[in-house]
Amino acid sequence: MLLIKLAFRNIFRQRRRSLLTALSLTGGYVLSVFSISMQDGSYANAIAFFTEDHSGHVQIHKDDYLDRAKIHKTIDNPNAIATILDKHPSIASYTTRVFAPALSYSDDGNTPVQLIGVDVLREKQTSRLYQKITDGNYFADSPNDDGYFSAMIGAGVANSLEVGLGDELILISQGADGSIANDIFIVSAIVGENNSPDKNTVFLPLSGAQSFLTMYGKVHQFSILLTDISDAREVATELQSSIPSLSVAPWQVVESSFYKTMQADREGNLVMLVIIGIIVFIGVLNTVLMSVLERSREFGVLKAMGSRPSKIVSMITLEVTMLSAMSIVLGLALAIPLTYWFSTAGIELPEPVDVGGIKMSRMTGLLTPTVFIIPMIGIFFAAIVVSIFPGLRAANVTPTAAMRSH
Amino acid sequence: MKFVSFLLLFVPLMAVADRDAKSLIDEMEALYRGESSKATLTMKVETPQYSRTMQMESSSVGQQDAFIRILSPKKDRGISTLKLDKEMWNFFPKINKVIKVPPSMMMGSWMGSDFTNDDLVKQTTLTQEYDLQLTETLTEYNITLLPREQTVTVWGRIDYIVNKEHLVPVNQNFYDDEGIMIRKMVFSELKDFGGRIMPSVMEMIPLNKEGHRTVIIYDNLEFDPPDVDESTFTLRHLKSRF
Repeated sequence: MLLIKLAFRNIFRQRRRSLLTALSLTGGYVLSVFSISMQDGSYANAIAFFTEDHSGHVQIHKDDYLDRAKIHKTIDNPNAIATILDKHPSIASYTTRVFAPALSYSDDGNTPVQLIGVDVLREKQTSRLYQKITDGNYFADSPNDDGYFSAMIGAGVANSLEVGLGDELILISQGADGSIANDIFIVSAIVGENNSPDKNTVFLPLSGAQSFLTMYGKVHQFSILLTDISDAREVATELQSSIPSLSVAPWQVVESSFYKTMQADREGNLVMLVIIGIIVFIGVLNTVLMSVLERSREFGVLKAMGSRPSKIVSMITLEVTMLSAMSIVLGLALAIPLTYWFSTAGIELPEPVDVGGIKMSRMTGLLTPTVFIIPMIGIFFAAIVVSIFPGLRAANVTPTAAMRSH
Repeated sequence: MKFVSFLLLFVPLMAVADRDAKSLIDEMEALYRGESSKATLTMKVETPQYSRTMQMESSSVGQQDAFIRILSPKKDRGISTLKLDKEMWNFFPKINKVIKVPPSMMMGSWMGSDFTNDDLVKQTTLTQEYDLQLTETLTEYNITLLPREQTVTVWGRIDYIVNKEHLVPVNQNFYDDEGIMIRKMVFSELKDFGGRIMPSVMEMIPLNKEGHRTVIIYDNLEFDPPDVDESTFTLRHLKSRF
């Protein structure tokens, strides 16, 4: 208790110096919080975008379909899987899909496309496909009176084939039984714009795609949305154990290249933060060292009176830690409102960025306890490390020599 | 001089051997076609993932022209292939579209089977594109075909084995550039088709794809049929509904 009192007094003995040190610590803290909030925020946004746009939080495939897609790697019992998914409390919605490469034809030419067959009703609840329609109507599940299924086509396909709403679209692909799949579809909607990732995609109703590809009742993918994205890994592990015959993957695995890039970028950011921290703490070290040198007479007296060196080290450490604590309180007072504003209002971008066909017009931060706690731990840790050297110096003074100096 | 005459002595011999091999191959290749022919075939495609059976009808005139139409399953009914000389087209009635098979797709699979488009249309004339070597055993001719330098092919060697007694093919083995056998075609079930004895079952086994197999069974084969003429081998006929 005496030690705390002493440390407290020592801080306020040199008010101006303490204030400056505290300000640089506060600045470093606010900067770190803001930087972490911004980075994690933009990643959280990007992740939310693509998972809700198309990938979902968890996906189920047959074997290694994710790495090596082959038309015959199918989930043959989608209803049984659906029963399991329906029971799971963390699952918000799910949908089934089939995929195949195809060639599309119109009277005006041909172009290769990616074919995706989707469950018409479930897709609407699980992905943003419905919101991405720029023209026309969402397709129906059943064929029209002439027996043709409808198709929704990417803007790129529409442009290069010069087909519009109501026009015929011819698709040719290889069926799951090796036969040549060929059929006519009626364009019911245009999806996205000319530069969106879906531009060369043709969406078909699931039943239409299945009969086209001769894979009746089978699907390639389950895409699952959870109530909370942070449960993705956990839910994937749980589902994997209840469905051992298939491969369950959380979005971190599904979008592994994105995830790895993100992790690498985060590490890079961490290195930057550490550098900022080192710069701030060299300043702090300088201050503490100065104050220790100035007070060497005082430490000489303390030692002469019988203070143990460990007490002196503790006192110096306590001084720095308390100073850091005060800076963090000040920093929190500044950072909380700032981060709150950043996470709710965000920064308006001068040019909207197109993410997966969805316009993103503002950049927002992340407001979670972690954002505040990580720099806090960093600062306390650094404060202790930084105070050890001056502390040892103070503790090792020879009383006679120290008392004789000025 | 002596050396030259020594060489000259061999030239006719070699030529004879060569012509024999050539005529054998030509005969084999013409076996199923004759001047003109019409056949009903069953094709069974087996893979580890699926198997399917197709019924089809094929007509041909000489080595040049061929026409194949799928009769069943219902989903594929009417899909037709026309080969004229070195060109090939597929017709899909569902989308009412004729699609030309580009030269790059000649080694691609025909309708998902283990037969390539090239096997079907015999775009490559074996005797023109390959050097032939004939060896004999008691019951069989064994003709080795090696591609000529300018020949564009995926095969490094083809072994063509012919039954001496009936003069029908027994086996065709296809090797890659490194001499590894890639696929083999086996002929079996000799049957009398209008006076000609020939194998009624052809089995194509790709050795680099485990579990894959395609079997063609000749259910019926008729030579010089009255209803096969020039009009059969036209794009108009290809597109005709039936």
